[in-house]
Amino acid sequence: MASGAEGESMSKGKILVIDDEDIVRLSCSRSLVPEGYELKMAKNGPEGLKMLEEEAFDLVLTDLKMPNMDGIEVLGTIKTKWPKTDVVIVTGYQTVETAVKAIKLGAFDYIEKPFTPDSLIATVANVFRIRNG
Amino acid sequence: MLVKKSFNSLTGKLILAIGTLMIAGSMLFWLFLFKYQEKELIASSVKYGYSFVDYIKNSTRYGMLTDQGILIQQTVEAVGVAEGIQNIRIFNSKGDVAYSSDKKHIGTSLDKNSAVCLRCHSSSGPTKDTPSWTIAKGEQYRLLNIVQPIYNEPACYNALCHVHPKTQRVLGIVEADLSLELLDHSIKQQGMAITVYVLAFSIVISGTLCIIIWNFVSTPLTMLAQGMRKVAAGDLDFKVTISRKDEIGELANTFNTMSDELRKAKNERMEWGNTLEKKVQEKTEAIHRAQQQLIHSEKLASLGRMAAGVAHEINSPLTGIVTFGHLLRKKFPEGTEDREDIEVIIDQANRCSTIIKGLLGFARATTADKAQTNINDVLESSLNIVKNKADFFNIKLSTNFEPSLNMVKADAPQLQQVFLNMIVNASDACEGKGAITIATSNVHDNGHDYVQIEFRDTGYGIKDEDLEKIFEPFFTTKPVGKGTGLGLAVSHGIIQEHGGKITISTKIGEGTSFFIWLPALKERA
Repeated sequence: MASGAEGESMSKGKILVIDDEDIVRLSCSRSLVPEGYELKMAKNGPEGLKMLEEEAFDLVLTDLKMPNMDGIEVLGTIKTKWPKTDVVIVTGYQTVETAVKAIKLGAFDYIEKPFTPDSLIATVANVFRIRNG
Repeated sequence: MLVKKSFNSLTGKLILAIGTLMIAGSMLFWLFLFKYQEKELIASSVKYGYSFVDYIKNSTRYGMLTDQGILIQQTVEAVGVAEGIQNIRIFNSKGDVAYSSDKKHIGTSLDKNSAVCLRCHSSSGPTKDTPSWTIAKGEQYRLLNIVQPIYNEPACYNALCHVHPKTQRVLGIVEADLSLELLDHSIKQQGMAITVYVLAFSIVISGTLCIIIWNFVSTPLTMLAQGMRKVAAGDLDFKVTISRKDEIGELANTFNTMSDELRKAKNERMEWGNTLEKKVQEKTEAIHRAQQQLIHSEKLASLGRMAAGVAHEINSPLTGIVTFGHLLRKKFPEGTEDREDIEVIIDQANRCSTIIKGLLGFARATTADKAQTNINDVLESSLNIVKNKADFFNIKLSTNFEPSLNMVKADAPQLQQVFLNMIVNASDACEGKGAITIATSNVHDNGHDYVQIEFRDTGYGIKDEDLEKIFEPFFTTKPVGKGTGLGLAVSHGIIQEHGGKITISTKIGEGTSFFIWLPALKERA
């Protein structure tokens, strides 16, 4: 599990990645950590929510389609319990309907798989730019 | 044979009947006329005869009163030579011939049973003394026999000769035989003339009747019979050309109406037979089409389900390839062979991503969120997306939209996907140059209203063998890497989901038209 090499004070922000696919989590980590974000990983929804209970995150990147609990449910819980935490939906199965549903439920944005490091960095940077005013 | 046929014909029978009646009637008429005329002529002859006998009596009166026998005889002889006088005899009261125009008869006496005597005297004595006449057959002509008594009168019984006593009532009789030659001749002549007239009249009437019946009955009836034979043989277009206002004309009209009705009935029956066959064929084709569509839909649905699963599974590893490809690329300076290799990996990963997106189209085609949509608007927004793309710079894009286009119930984003696909396909077909025309119109087919969208390009056209497979998933004629072979399959699925259809009209070397038909709502744009 990769985590930020820099100290918390140096971190651009704390990001939780929830995805059942190792390669996606790894891709996020390899793209975002060099950009100065502190990343933590969860393999599924319940695990991600448990980590959220333990510590605060600025942003959650969650997959939409996962076993046990899907991204929409994770999003709903986060928006109820930690409204200050932003959520970006990562999906390989994007449809207009689910995107609209996600945005309605309070997701900040969504990003389609397969994404490039640049597009992921741009999306995340956008979140923090807005958060930091 | 001809004669027998002629007599069997209506004309023959009518002429025979009318001729017979005419001749019989004429004969009867002739007979009555003849009898009447004869009676009249005889009556006048008798009258003449009486006058003649009176004349004899008057001529001989002086001779008788003076009892001059020679004078009487001379007078009788002189009168007896007149034309038409056969014989004059004066009998005394004993029945002896006292004077005669023929001297040979003088002195002869009559038998009491002779016809002359019996006229007044029966065997029992005198019955009547009225003058009478009879007609007897002569040698050549008939003879009129007039008998008149000479009655006693004061001049007779007071005469000096005192031949007759006062008590004798009848002194004798005068008998004259008058020839009826003229009368007979006249009757014969008249009879002949009447017969000739009657015959001539009968012939003229029969001839006229023959012509009338021939023209007014026989000919039209023959035409009708001929018409009926033709109709019976199946020639229902045959018309009898009799334009008259009588019963025959009415019959001809009725016949023509009948053959017309028969023709109509026959045509209707044939048409019904033909349309039945056509309808059965159409239904069979429709069932076949429906089966094909069902198979296609099922194929698409299962492919969609599979695609959704595969897409999800593949997108994650693709994310890895793309991410690490990009990360790796940064480590090699631009222009090196290693960097180019990495770029190939990234490009191919992107291609995989495009294929996956296409596959996902199937999953989406099966569900649609439909609302009242103006197709012209969807086409406009689709054109706005593509028109600034480099691929369209050298293509003449023109539109011909129906301003009062019917609305359709549709999922606009899905239709946009279809329209974009059609436009991109048309541009690919044009190979960067040529013209694309997009037209909309309201069409009416088989009792239903549709909105038709036509995408016409001036490309190469589609080969027959490709046309069969054009809607099959993964079928493409585009160069490797350019098309996924899913665009038309997805479009087909979406249009089918909307209750519409896609048809193609293509000509090699001239171009292709794709027609999309969507069921129209009653509302207009």
